[in-house]
Amino acid sequence: MKYQMLCRPAATAIRFHLDQGEGITCEVGAMIAMSSGLTVNTTSKSRGGAGGIIKGIKRMFSGESFFLNHFTAQQANQSLLIGPAMMGDCVHHTLSGGTMIVQGTSWLASTGNIEIDTTWQGFTSALFSGESMFWVKCSGLGELFLSSYGAIYPIQVQGEYTVDTGHIVAFEDTLQFRIGKAGKSLIGSFLGGEGLVCKFQGQGTLYCQSHNPPSFGQLLGPKLKPR
Amino acid sequence: MSASLEHEITLRPDFSLLTVKLQQGQKVHAEPSAMASMSTTLDMKAGFKGGALKSLGRMFGGESMIVNTFTASRGPGEVVFAPGHLGDTQHYHLTGGSLMLQRGAFMAHSDGVEVTGKWQGAKGFFSGEGLVLLKASGQGDIFFNSYGAILQIDVGGDFMVDTGYIVAFEDTLMYNVTTLPGLRGGGFKRLFFSGEGLVCRFQGQGKLWIQTRYASPYLSWINQFRPTRNN
Repeated sequence: MKYQMLCRPAATAIRFHLDQGEGITCEVGAMIAMSSGLTVNTTSKSRGGAGGIIKGIKRMFSGESFFLNHFTAQQANQSLLIGPAMMGDCVHHTLSGGTMIVQGTSWLASTGNIEIDTTWQGFTSALFSGESMFWVKCSGLGELFLSSYGAIYPIQVQGEYTVDTGHIVAFEDTLQFRIGKAGKSLIGSFLGGEGLVCKFQGQGTLYCQSHNPPSFGQLLGPKLKPR
Repeated sequence: MSASLEHEITLRPDFSLLTVKLQQGQKVHAEPSAMASMSTTLDMKAGFKGGALKSLGRMFGGESMIVNTFTASRGPGEVVFAPGHLGDTQHYHLTGGSLMLQRGAFMAHSDGVEVTGKWQGAKGFFSGEGLVLLKASGQGDIFFNSYGAILQIDVGGDFMVDTGYIVAFEDTLMYNVTTLPGLRGGGFKRLFFSGEGLVCRFQGQGKLWIQTRYASPYLSWINQFRPTRNN
């Protein structure tokens, strides 16, 4: 499997070159175009096994779809083009046995034996982080492709790091996070427009996005006609 | 009548701008409100280009009936066009063949090119692109735009594109609307749950242009932020 990131950073698409028997699991609706030697299989399971209905329902809570699309090359030299729904970049991360916790809508595709499950990040995180209550948990061996709203940038956390809520794309599970205030006082944090932030601790990779979809929606929404 | 326009497309793919340099007497035709700036040596005139039938065809193809004509009547000059939304612009030179364009993709063309609507029948209905596509034919330059970046694909045989992502294709390509391979056996259930729905299957030899984003999912996303009406 080879891949290529095209048209970065605002309208990024990923082109995969697949040989016979190779496959990719994608988010529902991510496919843009493909050659005709690929077949699609829609299931609620991860490739090759575990999962089923319960995992599908859990995925729905995390903001992803109940179903997953598995693309498999039936012939050599096939290409598949995928892209996210929103304007923004994509990033690639190699998983070698570890676990990546991905924000609900940021999971785009994965290869190999990556297990896609949903994880609960606790009530306080859900209520105050501005993120979904459930996150997508990707673990195993293979390549992982994530999407963002706006640009995406990696941070190697060593010790402590603070991210504004809504700007998290994904982080390795070697990192712990808790909700805190941005400034010393709570009022000051809110007046500064930062409100609550996520404080990460530990060692690992963290991916952040430059823009925050709910903020943009709240900015634009009131200017639109009522539903 | 000079068929080729001196032009440059800059700031691709996100904020693409098309600059056309006109010699005295040369013309360029563009969709309404595409013009961003122009030299004072140019005159603009709005009109129903190609007569009533061709204009109606454009209207059914998701474009305006009106086409603006920019003429370098008082000396050479330039005109800058920009798409209505964030996205890419692509140039294509017509040499007697035809180019099919997605609804709303038309931006500008030179003399010698005609743009009108073409009835697509049932496959237009199922493709989600509308019953009428735009058809550009003749000899000269045509410029079209997209939402997101444009990728060119040289089709040799068989290629499938999600119906929302087609921008343009040469009419040497045949297309039909189908479901994805692998979903066929599963019947309706698979078709609706895969989220991919229907695809256009292109066959033959020719060029195809696709866009990397599709406005419709974005519009459904922003819909949740609209205020609710108080009853």
